[in-house]
Amino acid sequence: MTLASPPRFAHDSEAELARILDYYGVAWRYEPDVFPISWSADGVVIESFAPDFYLPEIDLYVELTTLRQSLVRKKNRKLRWMRQLYPEVRVKLFYARDFKALMVKYGRLDFLTGVAAANSAHAVTGNGNGVRG
Amino acid sequence: MSLHDDVEVILLDSQTVANRVAELGAQLSADYAGRDPVLVSVLKGALVFLADLMRAMDLPTSIDLMEVSSYGAGTETSGQVRILKDLSKPIEGRDVIVVEDIIDTGLTLNYLLGYLADRQPASIKICCLLDKPARRLAEISIDYRGFTIPDRFVIGYGLDYNERYRNLPYIGVLKPSVYGGAPPDG
Repeated sequence: MTLASPPRFAHDSEAELARILDYYGVAWRYEPDVFPISWSADGVVIESFAPDFYLPEIDLYVELTTLRQSLVRKKNRKLRWMRQLYPEVRVKLFYARDFKALMVKYGRLDFLTGVAAANSAHAVTGNGNGVRG
Repeated sequence: MSLHDDVEVILLDSQTVANRVAELGAQLSADYAGRDPVLVSVLKGALVFLADLMRAMDLPTSIDLMEVSSYGAGTETSGQVRILKDLSKPIEGRDVIVVEDIIDTGLTLNYLLGYLADRQPASIKICCLLDKPARRLAEISIDYRGFTIPDRFVIGYGLDYNERYRNLPYIGVLKPSVYGGAPPDG
């Protein structure tokens, strides 16, 4: 971790991934870059993509999508645009199943239970947490 | 209740694994002819692969074992990887072959490679039985690869879930109901 204090994560799963990366000594930055992906006719950016993590040692952006399927579709669409507009930028999308698999691998089933509860709350309130970018 | 009952599907049967391990052993024997590499494995998952691979190699090899802590439920938020069991002999000037059962995120191996490199071996190569690249979070260059597998939770041939299933003779996919009740979605 390159910051003096931890950033304010939008989702618990992001904080958990940050802890995993810290544990294994992998440098990361949280949402360091914003990539414009669509513009209005007069050139104003109307949509952008800000991947959750950047891993400088391997020049890779990581985006977590652990919420509802409709939001996953939105992120998939953004990622397609991202790859067309910035083909040199490497982005890895971590779906809910990927994150679950990580938690199973690390014996963090307790964390999964908490994430599921939080996601249910988000679904009810529709606060859109985790759909930045 | 048999261990096999928890297996959704056999991904690689024992004969397929044995054939590939023999091929890897032959390849390593050719590539390291005239040298005496040390095979370094990480406990515990790679033990079965290591045992079979070393017997498939016609070389004067030696082995060493390490154990490293894993991120998990008991991890403190400020925790870091710890070496639980270090190499028993120096590897300075030696040709090291890291023998791994599976490379998934690559995080453990990435840490280990740095640790081993600091001990100034003559060379370090990686031999893994299973490469699961879908969730890779570290840049790992695999020199000898048994199989590239899809993103499934695999067990057997040394691989475990909660310390079980290591003794299955094949590599199978664990039924999701065993570790969470429902297939992962998303």
